[in-house]
Amino acid sequence: MGGFWIYGEWGENGFHPVVYELISVARRLAPKLAEKVTVVVLGTDDLREAARELFRYGVEKVLLFIHPELSYFRDDLYAEILAAAIKERDPSVFLFGATAEGQALAPRVAGLLGLGLTAHCIAFEVDDEARLIQIRPSFGENVMAKIVSKTRPQMATVRPGVFPKAEPQASGEGEPEEIRLSEVPKSVLRRRAVYPVPRKESPLSEAKVVVAGGRGLLTKENFEKLHELAKLLSGAVGATRPVCHLGWISEEHMIGVSGETVAPRLYIGFGISGALQHTVGMEGSEVVVAVNTDPEATLMQRADIAVVGDATRILPLLIRRIREIKEGRDGAS
Amino acid sequence: MNLIVCLKPVPEPGTVKVDPETHTLKRASSELIINPPDRFALEMAVELKERYGGKVTALMMGPPNAVPLLKEAYALGADELVLLSDRAFAGSDTLATSYALAKAIQKLSPFDLVLMGKASIDGETAQVGPETGAWLGIPSITQVKTLVRGENDAWVARRIFEDFEEEVEFSPPAVITVEPETNDPRPPSLKRLLAVRNLEPQVLSARQVDCDPTKTGLSGSPTQVLDVFTPTYEGKREVLSGEPEEVVEKLVSILRERGLI
Repeated sequence: MGGFWIYGEWGENGFHPVVYELISVARRLAPKLAEKVTVVVLGTDDLREAARELFRYGVEKVLLFIHPELSYFRDDLYAEILAAAIKERDPSVFLFGATAEGQALAPRVAGLLGLGLTAHCIAFEVDDEARLIQIRPSFGENVMAKIVSKTRPQMATVRPGVFPKAEPQASGEGEPEEIRLSEVPKSVLRRRAVYPVPRKESPLSEAKVVVAGGRGLLTKENFEKLHELAKLLSGAVGATRPVCHLGWISEEHMIGVSGETVAPRLYIGFGISGALQHTVGMEGSEVVVAVNTDPEATLMQRADIAVVGDATRILPLLIRRIREIKEGRDGAS
Repeated sequence: MNLIVCLKPVPEPGTVKVDPETHTLKRASSELIINPPDRFALEMAVELKERYGGKVTALMMGPPNAVPLLKEAYALGADELVLLSDRAFAGSDTLATSYALAKAIQKLSPFDLVLMGKASIDGETAQVGPETGAWLGIPSITQVKTLVRGENDAWVARRIFEDFEEEVEFSPPAVITVEPETNDPRPPSLKRLLAVRNLEPQVLSARQVDCDPTKTGLSGSPTQVLDVFTPTYEGKREVLSGEPEEVVEKLVSILRERGLI
C-alpha cells in the first residue's frame, strides 16, 4: 500500500491540464520517497480510456473508482470516497491542483480525516527524513514558508501553471485498477444545470509582452498610460492586487496568487515593489525589466534589467521613444 | 432562519505605503480590518435575512481587540455578535481554525447556513470553509454567486468553477463560501452604528465551546512551518540609472539588441 497520489480532476475535455503538472512533480519526487506515481480518478465507465492514457505520461498506477453517481463532481460524495480510499490504502502523499474543484475537495478530505493541508504550493523538496517539504508564499510576511505535515498522507494543493507538464513518453502502458463501488454515500447536492462560461481567454496568460503597474505609479491617470505602451508592444496590461483594489483597473488584469500567471518573453513592471503575492504570478517571464526609485525593491533584485528611476516619468518617455521607433522616425530602425 | 457569518480579522494590507505627499515609504500601523472577501458573505447573509426573515450572527475568531470589527459587522446588518477568543487558539492552521469554528457553530445551533468569504487576504488558502463543513458533517459549497430558496426545503446555489457555473440544489444546513464581488456590500447604517455603542459581543472561550485542547492552536495544527526564507535572486542584472531620458535610451537599445521590441 502507500503511494504518491495525485487527484485526477477531469472535465468535458478530459483531464485538467494541472493533472499533467502534478504528474511531473510526482515523477520527480516519488522515487525519493520510494513511492509509486498514482493518479486517483473518480467517475464512470466513460473514463476508462482516458485513464489508460495516463500511463503514457509515466504514471505507474491509476486507481479508477467507478459508480454512476460519480458522473459529476459533488464535494460531499467525492470527499467521502477519497477519505475511505485513503484509510484503506494509506498513501504517503496526496496532491491536488489548486483549481476550483481541487480547492473545494482537498480541504473537505482534510477535514474529514483531520489531516494537514498546505495551499497553493509552488515548490517541493524531500528532506533526509523522507518528509515532503511544501513550499508556499506566506503573503502576510512576504516570505516563502517551508511547511511539513505531521499527518499522513502529506496533503497539498499545487498552484496551476507553475510546474511543467509531463510529456508523453515513447513507451508506457498499463491497466487502471478499477474499483467498482456497489454503493456510495448519499450526496446532499443535486446538480440542476450547468452554464458554460467561455473561459475568458485572458490576453494576459498568453501575452508575449506584459507591461504591469503597481502603486508606484501613484495615480490612475499614470497607470492608464500602460495601455498605450501595451498597444505599441502588442502586449497586455497587468497589475498588482492593491492597484486593482484601488480601482485603477479590473481584477482580470491582476497578476499573482489570486490572479493570472503570466510567462511572457518580456515583462516590464512599473512602480512594483515585488510582493510575493504578485511575483509568484510572473516568475516564468523570460526577461524582467523593473522600474522603481528604490534599487533595493524585491522586483528590482529579481529583474534582469533594473531601471532606477521614477516610474511616473520613465513610462511616458518610454512610450514616446518606442512610438518614434515604431513609426520609423528612428534612423536605426 | 438562522444565518451564521464567519468573519476573519486580518491585518490591513500593505504594511508599507507610499505617502502621496512626499512619495516616501511609510509604515502603516498594523490595524485589523474585516477580511474584505468576508464582506460579500455578510452582505449575502443580510440580504437573505431581509428576503426570508431570521437573524444573522457574526462569528469572529480573534483576539479581544477585534471587538470593533464585530461592531462594524453589526452596523453592516448583523444582529448578534460572537467573539471566539482564547489564547489556546494561537498558532492555529486551517484545520485547527476550522475545528474551533465548527465547535462554536455547534454551540450556536440550530442554524441553517454558515457563510464565509472565499478566502482570506492574508492566508489565501480558501480551506477553512470546506474543512468546517467536513467537521460539522454538512455539505460545503464553494465560490457561490447567488443563493435562493427553491421549492420545499431546498435551496439553489449558483457556484463558479473554472469554465462553467453550476446550479446546485441542496437542503440546509450547509457551509457556503461566497465568491467576492458578486454583490454590493452596503455602507454602515447610522442607526445601527449608534445602537451598537451599547452592545458588547458574546465572548466564547475554547472551553465554553467544548474544544478538545489537543485539536487547537499550534500543537493541534498538523501543518508545521519549518522555516521561512526570502527568495534571493542571483542572476546577473543590469542596473540602469541616471536622468530619465538617458535610462530610457539605454533601456530601449538593450531591448532592441535582444530583439524584444
